[in-house]
Amino acid sequence: MIAHPVATLRSYVLVWVALIGLLLITLGSAYVPLGPMNSAVNLAIAAIKALLVAFFFMHLRSAHYMLRIAAAAGFLWLAILIGLSLTDFAVRY
Amino acid sequence: MTQAVIVARQFDDAEQQRKASDLGMWVFLATEVLFFGGLFTAYIATRLHDPQAFAIASRLTNVTLGSINTGVLLTSSLMMALAVRATKLGSGRAALGFLCATAVLGVAFLGIKFTEYVLDYHDHLVPILDFSHPGPHAGGVENFFYLYFFMTGLHSIHMIVGIVVVTVLAVMTARRRFTPDYFTPVELGGLYWHLVDIVWIFLYPLLYLVSRT
Repeated sequence: MIAHPVATLRSYVLVWVALIGLLLITLGSAYVPLGPMNSAVNLAIAAIKALLVAFFFMHLRSAHYMLRIAAAAGFLWLAILIGLSLTDFAVRY
Repeated sequence: MTQAVIVARQFDDAEQQRKASDLGMWVFLATEVLFFGGLFTAYIATRLHDPQAFAIASRLTNVTLGSINTGVLLTSSLMMALAVRATKLGSGRAALGFLCATAVLGVAFLGIKFTEYVLDYHDHLVPILDFSHPGPHAGGVENFFYLYFFMTGLHSIHMIVGIVVVTVLAVMTARRRFTPDYFTPVELGGLYWHLVDIVWIFLYPLLYLVSRT
């Protein structure tokens, strides 16, 4: 039998507190006039929230490197999809 | 006594079988990222075409219900993570409670989302059915709401699948199908639930918070 290590209850609750805190910050920041920086701040916060979920709730923090490669591959190809599309759309208008 | 895990003949042992299942699930999740990625790309292209229309349209969405729903979904993810933890620790009763909480929060999310759709309909924001918007940006605003309904709709379909999966896992847990040695279905169901949560984490600022000032 192989023991499967688990993170503490406390660590999961702390990640949830951070996620709810970030939700409140992103909602509050949307009402502060920052111009184009509003969207940048909101997307940066969304990325942090996604990483918190991926690393702690989805256990990427302690995952085998094969799983990390598969996870990274999805986002790498997404970056290619969006990046190559922007070579057209970002300069069209 | 713990039951022995059934190992399919192509695997050396239970651990290798478990890792293969995990890898398969992550590859599937990568395809899901690209599935939603096409819509995110369409969103970016449409928004660049008429950024002002997206600012106007975003202010017409219901930010109160959208924010509450984000909180509901983040909390459901915590419940799912705790269900996986409880299953690995062998406490089936706790796992069953957390799985039920996950499913209930998922249903609450869909209920709030449906309420929002009804309010959107009364505000004449549903393209094809009853869309009307005054002003020069009407076309761009309508484009935003095409994307809004398509993206949140596709996300809701994933939520329905997730709720069915979690319910099946709850029934299996009640029947004591999982042990600290065998918990692959719970773990993979959890990964799916968290990915659907991550999709919403990006939908929330892109649809509700474009321009609130």
